[in-house]
Amino acid sequence: MIRRPSKKAALAVGIGAALLLSGCGAGSRTQDKNAAEVPCEFEAPGSATTVNVLAYNSSAIDPFTNTLVANCTTDEVDVVHEPVDFAGQVQRTTTTLAGAEGTYDILETYGYIIPENAESEKILPLNDLIDKYGDTYGLDELSPSMVEAMSYNGDVYAVPMQAQMYIMAYRKDIFDELGLEPPTTFDELRDVAQKIQDSGEYQYPLALPLLASSDIATAYDSALGSLGVDLVDHEAGKPNFDQPEAIQAFEELKSLAPYMDPQVTTFDQPKVQQQMYNGDAAISIMFSGRMNDLVQESNSPNFDKIAFAAPPAVVEGGKQYSTLSVDGWSIPANTSLDEDMLFNMIGSSVSEKASLAAIPAAYPARQGLVTAENSPYGAAANDAIENAPAAEPFPYTAKVSNAVRPVIAEVFTGALTPEEGTAQMQTIAQKVLDAE
Amino acid sequence: MTAAAEAIIKGPRQLREKRRRNARPKAQPMMSGLFLAIVCVAMLAPFIWTLLSVTKPTDVAFANPPVLAYEPTAQAFVDLWQTTNFYQYLINTGIVAVGSTIVALVIGLPAAYALARAPGYVSAILLILALVFRSLPRFAVVLPMYELSRQLGIHDTTFALGAALVAINQPFSIWLLRNFFVKLPEQIDEAAMIDGCSRFQALRRVIIPMMGPGILTAGVFMFLFAFQEYLTPLILTDTKAQTVPLFIATQLGQTLPMLQQAGAAAILLTGLVVLFAFIAQKYLVAGLSDGAGK
Amino acid sequence: MRRREYWILILPSIFVMFGLLLIPIYRTIEWSLKDVNYGEAGTFVGLDNYVRALTDPRFGSSVLFTVGLTLSVMVVVIVLGYILAVLVNNLGKMRPLVLGIILISYVIPNVVGATMFSWLFDGNFGGVANVVIGWFTDHDVLWFTETWPNRIMVGLNIVWAMLPFSMLILLAGLQGVPREIIEAAKIDGAGTMGRHLHIILPSIRGMVGFVAIITIMDVLRVFDNLIPLAPNAVLNGNETIALYTYNMAFQDGGQELGLGSVINVLTILIMLVMLIPFIRNTMKEAKSA
Repeated sequence: MIRRPSKKAALAVGIGAALLLSGCGAGSRTQDKNAAEVPCEFEAPGSATTVNVLAYNSSAIDPFTNTLVANCTTDEVDVVHEPVDFAGQVQRTTTTLAGAEGTYDILETYGYIIPENAESEKILPLNDLIDKYGDTYGLDELSPSMVEAMSYNGDVYAVPMQAQMYIMAYRKDIFDELGLEPPTTFDELRDVAQKIQDSGEYQYPLALPLLASSDIATAYDSALGSLGVDLVDHEAGKPNFDQPEAIQAFEELKSLAPYMDPQVTTFDQPKVQQQMYNGDAAISIMFSGRMNDLVQESNSPNFDKIAFAAPPAVVEGGKQYSTLSVDGWSIPANTSLDEDMLFNMIGSSVSEKASLAAIPAAYPARQGLVTAENSPYGAAANDAIENAPAAEPFPYTAKVSNAVRPVIAEVFTGALTPEEGTAQMQTIAQKVLDAE
Repeated sequence: MTAAAEAIIKGPRQLREKRRRNARPKAQPMMSGLFLAIVCVAMLAPFIWTLLSVTKPTDVAFANPPVLAYEPTAQAFVDLWQTTNFYQYLINTGIVAVGSTIVALVIGLPAAYALARAPGYVSAILLILALVFRSLPRFAVVLPMYELSRQLGIHDTTFALGAALVAINQPFSIWLLRNFFVKLPEQIDEAAMIDGCSRFQALRRVIIPMMGPGILTAGVFMFLFAFQEYLTPLILTDTKAQTVPLFIATQLGQTLPMLQQAGAAAILLTGLVVLFAFIAQKYLVAGLSDGAGK
Repeated sequence: MRRREYWILILPSIFVMFGLLLIPIYRTIEWSLKDVNYGEAGTFVGLDNYVRALTDPRFGSSVLFTVGLTLSVMVVVIVLGYILAVLVNNLGKMRPLVLGIILISYVIPNVVGATMFSWLFDGNFGGVANVVIGWFTDHDVLWFTETWPNRIMVGLNIVWAMLPFSMLILLAGLQGVPREIIEAAKIDGAGTMGRHLHIILPSIRGMVGFVAIITIMDVLRVFDNLIPLAPNAVLNGNETIALYTYNMAFQDGGQELGLGSVINVLTILIMLVMLIPFIRNTMKEAKSA
């Protein structure tokens, strides 16, 4: 092979090498067709500049990122966005904010971690810039509650682009066939799941993202929130895991286990999507940003059999089983670039035109934009956003939730009883609060 | 001429002789052939499965139960090439792998030579330290390097990543190369020096050229280590110096089309590496029989 | 060789190794005594972090699991690697093809290889292995949640990734065994097994040792394979030391550099203990060579 290279092999290597060397056609298309064409105007910085954008890739975030990159890149200013997954974004947010200088100039961020970074002054308050450019980009039409979710101690630290909350997706064909209605409480959910299971078509009709190293904490928080209890009693500075609802939330979650795949503690949201694509599950509850994927013909043979509803409440009359999370853009304090320029980029990507183009992949942060007509899950989303438990915007919320997560997983799988688990969680969470 | 170089040239004939010598009753080659075939299929199974998945239409790519009758499509590859900067990551990976391999060899060769020719406590201690360095947890090495690269202003460059990999792979390379040098008779050095060469000239003009297969073997290993490294680029790069393994990892757990593209990227990477493995394997074995772990 | 020559030859390598590796080790030890975040000086807390790690039962079980995994993978990789090396050594024209095929899994990045591997066992991605098992039994194997099936799958993946290296090195060793030794064994009437066990294996002792060292080093720090293969590692006790480090110190953008560094220091110590036989060997060899 080495001594007498065959002509064919040489030819193949030659063609391969030529393709590689020329990079022929590489990166010639943009990733997403729903990037809007919007004006992005800013004072030219006067020299070649690179703006690095950190935003994880997902169907709901991509439209905003792509709009920003597509419209704000000029001959002089290179707006760079490299693909990154959510865990990567979390890791890189920490590292880029750590030092006197960082890599990134615009950060995708969410309500959960804003208080922490705002308190340590790692991201900039944007109030002045919002006043200055509010009219240009119609920022006063942003939903006040979502702006609130991006705020800490009265200052706004990010411009909200979209909200995410739990939505229930279900198989319309199966529900119709068995004469079922979308459940509005966990009681009804168990009942519906039981009937589907009994019909024999689905061994495990329900799929929830309950990944033990991540999503399960959000699930528990949603159940607890639905019962009207926060993770932490913020007035008293005490965790709420000693409340009876803490045990009840576990019992309710565990009561769904017979209807879910035995390996459900390994399911992240993409795997729950797979369950729906493949027709392994008939009902799923996950964040709204994942919903539009389910009805894409290119993704699944079942794309036209999916319907949506707001998630059920754990008990009748309570808030829905949900977590409201708002995503937005913020500017790191350690960027060396002009804040006005960066803000113009952010503003243009959340303008009304850009936001409209992001529907139905996302639920933009502008009031009244999403309707049952322009989004397949619009009605469900509008219902869900009204009835989701309120967020807990405190610097320690994320830390508490992460710290108790392994225990939550152990209770769910039955290694600990809810009583033992909540007792442990109370101690762990108290330690986190004391350290703050 | 080294034994290894000889082996390369005479290899096929020797092999044929060996086969004749090892001729046994027919049943046994059948059995061993079957066993090898099973092992090959098992080793290839993940790649075959991935190749199938990325050439299926997206809506049935990961269907359960799997769909086996389908019309193959190369769309995932086209999308990968056109909609992502895969090309750039490939270039980065190539630069880092080739660069760090060359530097590791240039630095490692003289050191390995000295360690082979001057045994004693100093050399023994250096070799043991190299062993310790080789066994460090990656986190222990890379996190401080992150801080260092920030302070030096070289964070997120192929240079910083390459330098880190040179250091990380240096212990393996001097160990391997030292073992090759040990097998090379010392008389060669002496003969060259009698002819008027200084020791450095002797090393450069006479000894290193004779080490061809050994150097190639070490080089191949360095290259592969750098090519597949994940944790180091994860921490040391952000946007400009990303490598292919990192890119593939970030595509996983996203949307279905991106997952398929990640599979396509993995297949392309595998293709390149297969080409490389087929070219390299002969040298690898020839070189290794002469060197490693005596 | 003159002293000056020796140092000129060796200094660049020492400079690179020590410069780039000793500083990180120093930093790791320093951080292990501190409460510290990225880019901050941190505060000195003495041995607090060590106490925290050593009193955590999860750390203990991750050490046990990792050492057990390392030793079992090592044995499998050496035995299977040797058998394969012998078989491949006897091949003629097919040799480059077979070698090339077997090499592939070694050169693919761990995280990518492990993800591909996980698709074989995950029903959400087709799970072809489960389909095959389904032909023989109705019993569903819970590869990702049950402790032992998960262990077996993780072990298989690591063997899959390490086997080529072992086979390659042992093959190289076999090629160095003089023909006469094998011939002589035949004349003595030794059986096939006996010939391998008593004649050939001892003569490639060095190669076997080399495979053992590298396997110990590489399996002891297994990390990225587990991300796709053991999503429930903490629940089912299949957390390796490196994964424990990651989970405790760096998950969710955490930055417990102090605790992370402690586990790194302890890992280095465990590694050293496991390497003692090899260190002694090197010392002896280098002195006498």
